[in-house]
Amino acid sequence: MLIVDKEGILIRYNVKMEKSMTPEDAAAELYPADELIRPIAEAIFEGEEDDVIEGLEAAIAAGKDPVALIDDALMVGMKVVTDLYDQGVIFLPNVMMSADAMLDGIEFCKEQGGSAPKPKGKVVVHVAEGDVHDIGKSIVAALLRANGYEVVDLGRDVPVDEVIAAVKKESPMMLTGTALMTTTMYAFKEVNDRLMEAGLNLPFQCGGGAVNQDFVSTYALGVYGEEAADAPKMADAILAGKDLEALRTEFHKH
Amino acid sequence: MAVNRFTTMAYSDADEMVFGNAKKPVKTGLDLEIGAGYTTAEVNYAPRPEAGETQEKLVNEYQRITKDIMSRMVQVGFPSVVLETEHVQQMTNNPEWGAAVAHAQKTIMEEYYEEYGIKCALRHTPGDIRENKDYMELRGDKLNVVIESFEQVAEAGADLLSIESMGGKEIFDYAVLRNDIPGMLYAIGCLGTMDMDFLWQEIAKVAQQKNVTAAGDTDCAQANTAMFIAGGLLDKNLAHTLAIIARSLAAPRSLAAYESGAVGPGKDCGYENIIIKAISGMPMSFEGKTSTCAHSDVMGNLIMQCCDLWSNESVEYHGEFGGTTVQCWAESLNYDCALMNTALKSGNEKILRDLLMASDRFRDPQSYILAYDNAYKIGQAIVKDGDDIYLRAKNAAVECCNLLNNSEGLDMTKFELGALAKATAELDGLTSESEAFMSESMEKYKAEVAVFKPENYAL
Repeated sequence: MLIVDKEGILIRYNVKMEKSMTPEDAAAELYPADELIRPIAEAIFEGEEDDVIEGLEAAIAAGKDPVALIDDALMVGMKVVTDLYDQGVIFLPNVMMSADAMLDGIEFCKEQGGSAPKPKGKVVVHVAEGDVHDIGKSIVAALLRANGYEVVDLGRDVPVDEVIAAVKKESPMMLTGTALMTTTMYAFKEVNDRLMEAGLNLPFQCGGGAVNQDFVSTYALGVYGEEAADAPKMADAILAGKDLEALRTEFHKH
Repeated sequence: MAVNRFTTMAYSDADEMVFGNAKKPVKTGLDLEIGAGYTTAEVNYAPRPEAGETQEKLVNEYQRITKDIMSRMVQVGFPSVVLETEHVQQMTNNPEWGAAVAHAQKTIMEEYYEEYGIKCALRHTPGDIRENKDYMELRGDKLNVVIESFEQVAEAGADLLSIESMGGKEIFDYAVLRNDIPGMLYAIGCLGTMDMDFLWQEIAKVAQQKNVTAAGDTDCAQANTAMFIAGGLLDKNLAHTLAIIARSLAAPRSLAAYESGAVGPGKDCGYENIIIKAISGMPMSFEGKTSTCAHSDVMGNLIMQCCDLWSNESVEYHGEFGGTTVQCWAESLNYDCALMNTALKSGNEKILRDLLMASDRFRDPQSYILAYDNAYKIGQAIVKDGDDIYLRAKNAAVECCNLLNNSEGLDMTKFELGALAKATAELDGLTSESEAFMSESMEKYKAEVAVFKPENYAL
């Protein structure tokens, strides 16, 4: 069998460029100093639901307001996670596990306090009609929630009528659509046309599988999201006042 | 159809495996023999989005695609070709649509065969539509539609029957995003295999009745999901060491088709097919550098090492400078096959195989494990407990970890090594009792995954 030294044939750039700092070291630099808040942030980073609840109980027992803890502890811990993911220090499964722990914590705080703080904004997510491939949509929803957005998840194989009705009812700041197949993504054009007919001119972020920038550029409200991680960035850009043209300039990379 | 598990290897050692030759070649279609001393291109395509509006538009689109491919084949002088039509959902949900497409395609292929003598075959791959908006529905009414689709395309001219079955995916999607190795094992190795045992006996029955070939499956729904989430070297969505553990788990799962009556060629996107070829001796289709039109991978040359069919995965039909997309990619595939066939005729096939393998061997943990020598070792671990679907999947994952932990020449990041160490420890801690693992997993995932319905697996 032929084994050839890899020098000059390939470079594992991920090994070459790897940061010397471990994820734990990087996270430690970002944790809040407050002795009651820090354990909650650490538990979020570790994705340990039980430890999150334990930390919240201790903070509430010490006099912290349960509803305020959502923004002051849970979202702070989650920001450590999303910042490190954006910097390429940690992987997506860490974000997913942290998001699970954060959502458990939010539910606990809501039960304890009886209310919830206002989210940054509302986003409706769906998978195109005829398409049942929904892992991309699940990632988009988790990343949006992890970044403080309220997500209305319509699920998979969602009829166009249902998408339009949800947008009318929820008045979201953004709609997302994912599709794996070239034939199902055609539904996005219909969603676009029906939104425009109804005067609902909101950004419609589309991505996944066979979806590409050229296709999304053919309808007026479409903005191409190449990566799931673009979803919260696009929502942030909308909050910052960027219009459709500006979103396309920023997110259409090809 | 009975289920006959593999408990021995078809090849006595890894070096015996080459491209274009399989221990059990398959005769099919119009004078074609797969794995019988030559390689053949398998061209795959997707209609333009608007073509799916009506049956008539769709049939016209596939007629154009088929004519374009066949004409380019004879214009450049290629001796054989396989066309694969992966159904868009309309074609499986309306079996008469799929049949109309198969008939139209086969009619054109027969004309070219009669006029030019070009050896060819048509593979049809109905979609696995066995689910509704909220849940998998693996054994309900949708199954009947899938089987009817197989029956109708077989009657209408399809020579090779395949599917990309989805059993276990509801657990896998949950597990892979949480680095949950036991969950991936349960999803792919156990639930996936159980569903394939059930489904492939039905498909093999159709193939036997219609006198066509029950070809094979792929773990596209799970192992390819892991591979795509893992992405390139700089992506941070899944450690590549976990992606290759998922792939190793996929081998005993996709093997189940051949234990229930399929005979090959396995489906192109089953990168696990190299392990399956070592175990079964059946011909396999692969894709790599010539499927960059559909997706990127990190083993474009290596995965060609032992192919019998060489595929482009899928390309949307439209125009390019060099013709339509299907013409361009069919030509590229066939030039690769011409090179492999030249190597076979001149006795240089092992040299070319090794050059392909060596050029990607250290590119990634995924390519390292799928190098034919290491893939063969995974196969040996599978057949050691071939009769126990849990143990053989666990063995595959453990052997994958062992090979990576003892690798030479492969550089891995701290992330990849950390994920590997965690996976190794988790696998070490697993029971050796199938029943215990199955019942514990069922309880765990019934509680954690709302869309998991055990009745889909007769549990």
